[in-house]
Amino acid sequence: MPQMGVSVAEGTVVQWRKQRGDWVQADETICEISTDKIDTEVPSPASGRLVEVLVQVGVTVEVGTTLARIATDARPGQPHSSEDERPPAPAAGAPAPARGAAAVAPAAAARPAPAPAPAPAPGPRSPASRRYSPVVQRIADEHGVDLDEVEGSGRDGRVQKKDVLAWVQAHGGAGAAAVAAGEPTLHTESPYRPGAGASLSGPYAPPEGRPLSRMRQSIGEHMKRSLETAATCTTWIEVDVSRVELARRQLGITALPLIARCTIGALVEYPLLNAWLEGETHTVHEQVNLGIAVSLGEDGLIVPVVRGAQDLSPEGLGRRIRDLARRGRARQLSPDDVRGATFTITNPGQFGSMMATPVIAQPQVAILDVEAIIKRPVVVTDAFGEDAIAIRPMVILGLSWDHRAIDGALAARFLASVKKRVESYEA
Amino acid sequence: MTEMTYLRAISDGLRNEMRDDDRVLLMGEDIGVYGGAFKVTDGFIEEFGADRVMDTPLAESGIVGTAVGAAVVGLRPVCEMQFADFVSCGFDQIINVAGKMYYRQGLPVNITIRLPSGGGFSGGPFHSQNPEAWFMHSPGLKVVAPSTAEDAKGMIIASIRDPNPVIYMEHKNLYRHVKGEVPEGSYETPFRARVAREGNDLVVITYGAMVHTALEATADLDGASIMVLDLRSLVPLDEEAILSAVHDCSKVIIVDEANQTCAAGAQVAALVAERAFEDLDGPVVRVASPDVPIPFSPPLEAAVLPSVERVREACRQLLEY
Repeated sequence: MPQMGVSVAEGTVVQWRKQRGDWVQADETICEISTDKIDTEVPSPASGRLVEVLVQVGVTVEVGTTLARIATDARPGQPHSSEDERPPAPAAGAPAPARGAAAVAPAAAARPAPAPAPAPAPGPRSPASRRYSPVVQRIADEHGVDLDEVEGSGRDGRVQKKDVLAWVQAHGGAGAAAVAAGEPTLHTESPYRPGAGASLSGPYAPPEGRPLSRMRQSIGEHMKRSLETAATCTTWIEVDVSRVELARRQLGITALPLIARCTIGALVEYPLLNAWLEGETHTVHEQVNLGIAVSLGEDGLIVPVVRGAQDLSPEGLGRRIRDLARRGRARQLSPDDVRGATFTITNPGQFGSMMATPVIAQPQVAILDVEAIIKRPVVVTDAFGEDAIAIRPMVILGLSWDHRAIDGALAARFLASVKKRVESYEA
Repeated sequence: MTEMTYLRAISDGLRNEMRDDDRVLLMGEDIGVYGGAFKVTDGFIEEFGADRVMDTPLAESGIVGTAVGAAVVGLRPVCEMQFADFVSCGFDQIINVAGKMYYRQGLPVNITIRLPSGGGFSGGPFHSQNPEAWFMHSPGLKVVAPSTAEDAKGMIIASIRDPNPVIYMEHKNLYRHVKGEVPEGSYETPFRARVAREGNDLVVITYGAMVHTALEATADLDGASIMVLDLRSLVPLDEEAILSAVHDCSKVIIVDEANQTCAAGAQVAALVAERAFEDLDGPVVRVASPDVPIPFSPPLEAAVLPSVERVREACRQLLEY
């Protein structure tokens, strides 16, 4: 079945113009076919005798299907040797028959032998000369595997990912319980042991204590000094963050930079909170150097500073906060990155906690605590003054402030300003 | 569900959108009375009339330019390039007008341009090309390339509804060779990658007709577990799916039917090199057409286009690495 158009996949035989045994000239019409695009005549690809019709009238076949066979070594008016199905096999070395049946698919040309692979380096590679792929090195690092001990199944003994994974599975990585890269174990041993063992009523032997880390000591001293120095009070306000949630989804960032942006706006409005109190000296800043508390897990926390935060957009703040947090966790902050904050935001709400009384970082006069955003039923008033109960994402902001520097009314006005900015946020 | 060819699935999607949305209209060469060079729009002019199924002069620049204008005033035109190869005559309208309109003037250009592409049937150098990378390089355009009948329908619908100019690559060799179950009615196929086969020893990343070549080449390869990732969309590129596949498999083969230099697969290879370095357990291997026009001669064409055998051999080599 010839290809009659670029996308035609099949065709139907409509009529055979030649019958079995007929002589046919090259390019003479041998049959008629129909496809879903056209009806047409099929010219013979060669001269010879039609010895076999393989597709009957009315049958639909795919493009490329053999329709009929033509014996091209026949002579007009003479019987043909194709009645004898099996021509004698040519003797070894005899020339192959030069002519055959034209419509038979051409014998597949002998596939050229694949190019020989480059010869392997002579002798086994010494472990010292081995090189490893990035994934193999990463898995080895994660599991503390000495790659010299791993046998390689790749080309020239190269260690593949599966080799190092199998090694880890068989030996267990040093200090790594996971079997495969990054996969936690599904089962942990129960600590409960029935029968023999420590009696519940026996004397309790406490485990040995260890000295606090330097970071913990330093945080502890600082917090204790703050509580002894400042007259710390805490004021809370509840804020509807529907607009901030919408904006942060549009911008693809977290809510923190948006709430920080609103806080900075309120600090510019009430600069008395963007200040230091050192002894009797109250320093009010125009520039907002915003401290952001970053948790380092059980080790402690660090408070890197976004300088000149009043000039940054929410996206810019988000980028700076992310960068500082990343460098903080990687212990790459310089002393300048953590000095000179004029106001601090702490944001432990990601774990779901609702309220806190944060401790002011001295010598600042206030710190804002952002807690979990939780959907709550709240009373809202529509444009006609009608009240209704709606589900809104709410957050509690807690401001700890130093009563030596300011009074509760200012703290409340500041929080009300933050609330107004958050609730009317326009992206 | 109805079984239909890839070609019928495109027709079905177009017909659905034309029935559901008066703003959708078709423009192209011989798409009306003749029903299209490949019969995608066969019977459309009878159902929707010559106002919505417009036979145009042989001028791709005019087709695209008119469509951009129609889109700006709120219509949703679908342009057919008779062969993807002829789109170069409409290039300026696509690149400089359609792709930039939103950035310059804030006006969405909701047009879909259908490009019957690809070789494999002795179409020769003017009827066999895969020009998707030209458009990937130009901002403001989306480029999609379905490989199955179900995706062909879902993605033509999604393309028509997308407010951006969408270049819809439909592979001519799949038109009548690929059939599949296609859901009734309207549905959108997202512009995200699809795992055509799961696996974890090696991943073949490809799209369009080469998905079928990759599936055939790796169906039974010495017992290896080989993933085939069908990108479906080239812009936007589903980076997450690519990185996740590379993370799982660590060995990567990228197959393009297009000419190798700067093809879609080059972008995938760059992404893997940049973002998945620590997941790699071997070189990133590409299989593509060499940088020559597609020959008319069948044996030469077969030697140029990536074959099942070439993909299989590349997989074997990389698995052994």
